[in-house]
Amino acid sequence: MSDITEPTRTGRDIPPVAVSRTTTEVNPTGSWKYIQPRYEDRVAPCNAGCPVGIDVEGYLYMLGQGRTREAISLLLDENPMPAVTGRVCHHPCEDGCNRANLDEPVSIHGIERRLGDMALAGPAPEPPERTREERVAVIGSGPAGLACAYHLARLGYGVTVFEAAPEAGGMLRLGIPEYRLPRAILDRQIDRIRGLGVEIRCGTKVGTDVSWAELDGFDAVFAAPGAHVGKDARIEEAEGTGTIRPGLAFLKEVNAGARPDLGDHVIVVGGGNTAMDCARSALRLGSKVTVVYRRTPVEMPAIPQEVKEAKAEGVGFLFLAAPSAARIVEGRLRGLECRRMELGAPDESGRRRPVPVEEGRFTMVADTVLTAIGEDCDLAFLPGGVEVVGGVARIDELCESTVARVFVGGDAADLPRSVADALGSGKRAAIGIDHWLRERAGESPPPLDTTALRFGSTGNLSADRLRGTDPIPRTAPVNEVVSWEEMNPAHFARAPRHEDHFHATADLAATFGEVNFGLSEKEMREEAERCLNCGVCNRCELCMIFCPDMAIHRRADGDGFEIDMRYCKGCGLCAAECPRGAMAMSREAR
Amino acid sequence: MSQTIIRDRIPKDELLASGHLACPGCAAPIAMKLVLKALGPQTVVTLPACCWSIIAGPWPQSSLRVPLFHTAFETAGATASGIKAGLVARGDTETTVIAWAGDGGTFDIGLQALSGAAERNEDIIYFCYDNEAYMNTGIQRSSATPWGAWTTTTPVGEPEASPKKDIVGILAAHRIPYIATASVAYPVDLVQKVEKARTIRGMRFIHILAPCPPGWKTQNDETVDLARQAVQTRVFPLFEVENGTTWRLSMDHAGEPVAPYIRRQARFKHLTDEQIERIQTEVDERWKRLEIRVRHGG
Amino acid sequence: MKKVMIGNHAVSWGVQRSRVEVISAYPITPQTQIVEELSDMVADGRLASRYIKVESEHSAMAACIGASAAGARAFTATSAQGLALMHELLHWAAGGRLPIVMADVNRAMAPGWTIWTDQNDTLSQRDTGWIQLYCETNQEVFDTTIQAFRLAETVDLPVMLVLDAFFLSHTSEPVDVTDQEVVDRFLPRREARLKLDPEDPHAFGALVRPDAYMEMRWQQQEAMREALRVLPEIEKDWEALTGRTYGAIETYRTDGAELLLVTSGTITSTARHVVDARRDRGEAVGLVKVKMFRPFPTEVLREALTGASRVAVLDRNISPGHGGIFAEEIRSALYDVPPERRPRLFGYVIGLGGRDVTPSVIDAVVDRSLEAAEPEREDLWVGVEL
Repeated sequence: MSDITEPTRTGRDIPPVAVSRTTTEVNPTGSWKYIQPRYEDRVAPCNAGCPVGIDVEGYLYMLGQGRTREAISLLLDENPMPAVTGRVCHHPCEDGCNRANLDEPVSIHGIERRLGDMALAGPAPEPPERTREERVAVIGSGPAGLACAYHLARLGYGVTVFEAAPEAGGMLRLGIPEYRLPRAILDRQIDRIRGLGVEIRCGTKVGTDVSWAELDGFDAVFAAPGAHVGKDARIEEAEGTGTIRPGLAFLKEVNAGARPDLGDHVIVVGGGNTAMDCARSALRLGSKVTVVYRRTPVEMPAIPQEVKEAKAEGVGFLFLAAPSAARIVEGRLRGLECRRMELGAPDESGRRRPVPVEEGRFTMVADTVLTAIGEDCDLAFLPGGVEVVGGVARIDELCESTVARVFVGGDAADLPRSVADALGSGKRAAIGIDHWLRERAGESPPPLDTTALRFGSTGNLSADRLRGTDPIPRTAPVNEVVSWEEMNPAHFARAPRHEDHFHATADLAATFGEVNFGLSEKEMREEAERCLNCGVCNRCELCMIFCPDMAIHRRADGDGFEIDMRYCKGCGLCAAECPRGAMAMSREAR
Repeated sequence: MSQTIIRDRIPKDELLASGHLACPGCAAPIAMKLVLKALGPQTVVTLPACCWSIIAGPWPQSSLRVPLFHTAFETAGATASGIKAGLVARGDTETTVIAWAGDGGTFDIGLQALSGAAERNEDIIYFCYDNEAYMNTGIQRSSATPWGAWTTTTPVGEPEASPKKDIVGILAAHRIPYIATASVAYPVDLVQKVEKARTIRGMRFIHILAPCPPGWKTQNDETVDLARQAVQTRVFPLFEVENGTTWRLSMDHAGEPVAPYIRRQARFKHLTDEQIERIQTEVDERWKRLEIRVRHGG
Repeated sequence: MKKVMIGNHAVSWGVQRSRVEVISAYPITPQTQIVEELSDMVADGRLASRYIKVESEHSAMAACIGASAAGARAFTATSAQGLALMHELLHWAAGGRLPIVMADVNRAMAPGWTIWTDQNDTLSQRDTGWIQLYCETNQEVFDTTIQAFRLAETVDLPVMLVLDAFFLSHTSEPVDVTDQEVVDRFLPRREARLKLDPEDPHAFGALVRPDAYMEMRWQQQEAMREALRVLPEIEKDWEALTGRTYGAIETYRTDGAELLLVTSGTITSTARHVVDARRDRGEAVGLVKVKMFRPFPTEVLREALTGASRVAVLDRNISPGHGGIFAEEIRSALYDVPPERRPRLFGYVIGLGGRDVTPSVIDAVVDRSLEAAEPEREDLWVGVEL
């Protein structure tokens, strides 16, 4: 007879009181979740906005960790001349910087410039190995041509650059004044490119000194002759006086060392960087300068810092006015007739079109008028098959023209015009040329997925991505730009931005020396700390700190985090608190 | 504060194990985890009936890696006093003894034992993690429930009619050595206050706001942001009180309007604009009184 | 060392000799002298104990529970309303298997307000899992206090030692206060098997599901049974050291008794006189004193009472809706005795609210118990004058 009243020994070994024997780790509370987190790095807006395709957030990340040499190396992987761009680039990276929503954008250009100068102060890198037989001809040693040469050399190719002017640099030397870009810096930067084994033949104009046919010995050609023909301002009765001049021609003179006397009153027509360069150069030559621009300050395409410095130096500005006729007296220019403008409907650039005001005519005193309203290209030397539309060559994404083997970039191609865009096009062309040459050599290179090589959908291609390297540990990156709304600013403290050290000296006439000294090394590092590392996990550990379930751990094997899905309940606090939007939640693991 | 500073100021060792039974997104385990990090392993915890009685895990489990004594609802202050006396009597003067109670076991049923321990200046740290209702038993009101809130015993037809009890004021009147308020959204502040409390002898009280997704009717991933917003709207300001007389704010409080904080919690969904105005007025007045105490002492 | 002292102080001296480590107590008449004397002892260093002057009895027990859980020897004292206030935690101490010792001065429960003695306060707690020991003299109080710690720590159950309000608590009697080193030989330092220890962290008292709760209760019950077995051994040790012993029950002149009185507390002393007088007159009347009420000493009581034809239980308590509590429990203890040997049981409710139980009252009870054929009711109330 079984006796249910006798206690049985089951081996459960129940203690006399409820004293614990295990932790709660026996409970797989991860089974509760219906959504789960993952680390997913995104593209920062600075990267997405950089026409050069620099991994800006990459080198800022490294700087934040004190890895300065690696930061410089990463920067040089993409940008051949950071000491130049840090000084002259219009920095769309800063325009997109998410930090602007918190206080002020990071001074990326200031950091880049300081890193560029540090790179130049250090030893030159070892020349790359010549691993390819092919030789490429580059026409033009402006930023586009130099960038293409640089990247091709680093890809192992032989490169010869043909430069029409006596010295290399293109618009960098001819168009940008010394006070913005000291010659010594430009020279050293170009020397570094020569040091890679690139041959630059100056004083050699293709179409004149060298025929197109003589380039047949090169396996590919990259044409980047630039745009050097100043547009006609169509000012009545301008002809023949010599004192209404295209601004670019004036700049070339001055940048070559000339110091012409422009008279007491100079008017510069235009609102872009060339106009600012003309105005500030004319100022340095002793004239009073007024910039006349047909729209308002908001529409001016010049870099705001340039405008600020021009104003600080004493350049006058007149907005919503445009020249209509020259006032010539006794064969000499005396004044400029202008009309007041008002803004009407937007034109094809998206900006509101200026419309003359009926009664708004007036005259300004002028001894010299410099027009800086845009430049045209001289593409006569290109073979006939290269399609030219609107004065610029038609190209594909990799700068290949309508003629095989011929690639076009920089201002000569259908591209936005800036130093950065030129540098970017040079890199793209190098990538395109490399791919084309390998195909032609029968190597069947894997197809180029330019989407994968870009930062976001708008950033330029990355040389590091082409190589398959990512120097910062991005986790499961997606090629989407992280918006401010996806970030959590609660964990960021405000910090004022370091502005460039700008010394507008009283006596400018004597000097075309640098007036903007950028940031000190200490300020550079502090600026780099202001970078929010948008979209990239910087190991701040806030996900770990806020996880209620201790389900996030540093990876034992290395950097980064792993999520223990046995315990993660899918609450989403990690992703919600991630300051930089580097996490995402979803129903299933991707 | 930069986040690397946050990371470097939070001790690394985990004294709380995964697999505990808190709801997803609950602030209570975040609070406990941070507190235990600050106190270290030489700690004994006693906790009365509250959510943490369940979160800790049923027998034979425990989610704490330090000794834990479950005790009756109203006894946290008294049991902690006894544990401390027992340890000292056995020669252990170093172990920190803490009481860990919810708002019910602190503001209501546990108030007497808490007052007794405070009046005797017992050498314990009493933590109240406050989710503003009896959440463990299914969201009934407590005297910590804010005015106007829905709970199951203050339904929408007749929501909470009393203002939240001023527990800090009550304890300040006891003139205990140290009182602090803290929020899980400011982990460094919380950890620093606990580390400071650990070095003080006598009665210490730390009041931590712990938003509760099911009870406040918010999303699981909003908890930390709510705990932040409560501070920045001055609904739950962060400050310290020493000896009941010296009051010190822990940070700048932006003074954001309370309406967004209130509106995002569906437990307040039924409130009219006028009622939210009234809440704003009350928050402003309480803040003014706090400022006076900070300036002139309490 | 012999001293004349009130019962309350006998408790204090027992506690002092037991080297209690934590006391937490709240004052209530007629317990106050216990804690006042202990307060003095702590203040002048005769007792190295931490004394927590809690703000209620509920907190007093909570603090004892905490201290005991931390491995310390803990003590408290209370009475009536205070004990009732502790009720919830009495379960906690017993279920938590904490060897706390508490002295309760039997005081009647309010309303009406009263400070005088009856046993309802402690007997209301008989289901909480505490061992209950009822004392007759101040010497017994002193001895039982010390034995209580040894018993508690042997079986890991809390022990309540009980003394009548005023009749013992405030009455002076000579007490031989055993020397400290003798007591030390009898009662070593407590070494808890399970305790709150950061070196070996555990949680105590978490949620227990139906599949394990019963096993823990069963072990608690086993410990009660163990207490019955262990008490005689403990008493033997004490007797060897002091010459004094008491037993779970004591039989007094019960040989061949026709009527056996059953008493507890100070009524026992009075009843002894009555038994002596009756025996002197040749009447076969004896006395059984019940000391241990929980665990209920069923076997020895049954043995002691079987054989007499009548048993008169004197209950200084009442369970409203039933009868005197000792009577009810003894009645059920005698249930299995074959009917021909089962004594007729008279349950008398007597002395509630401190009403004096004099020898003549007990005499009347004896007479009535010998004369009446049957008890007309379960509970026979003595001396009610409406």
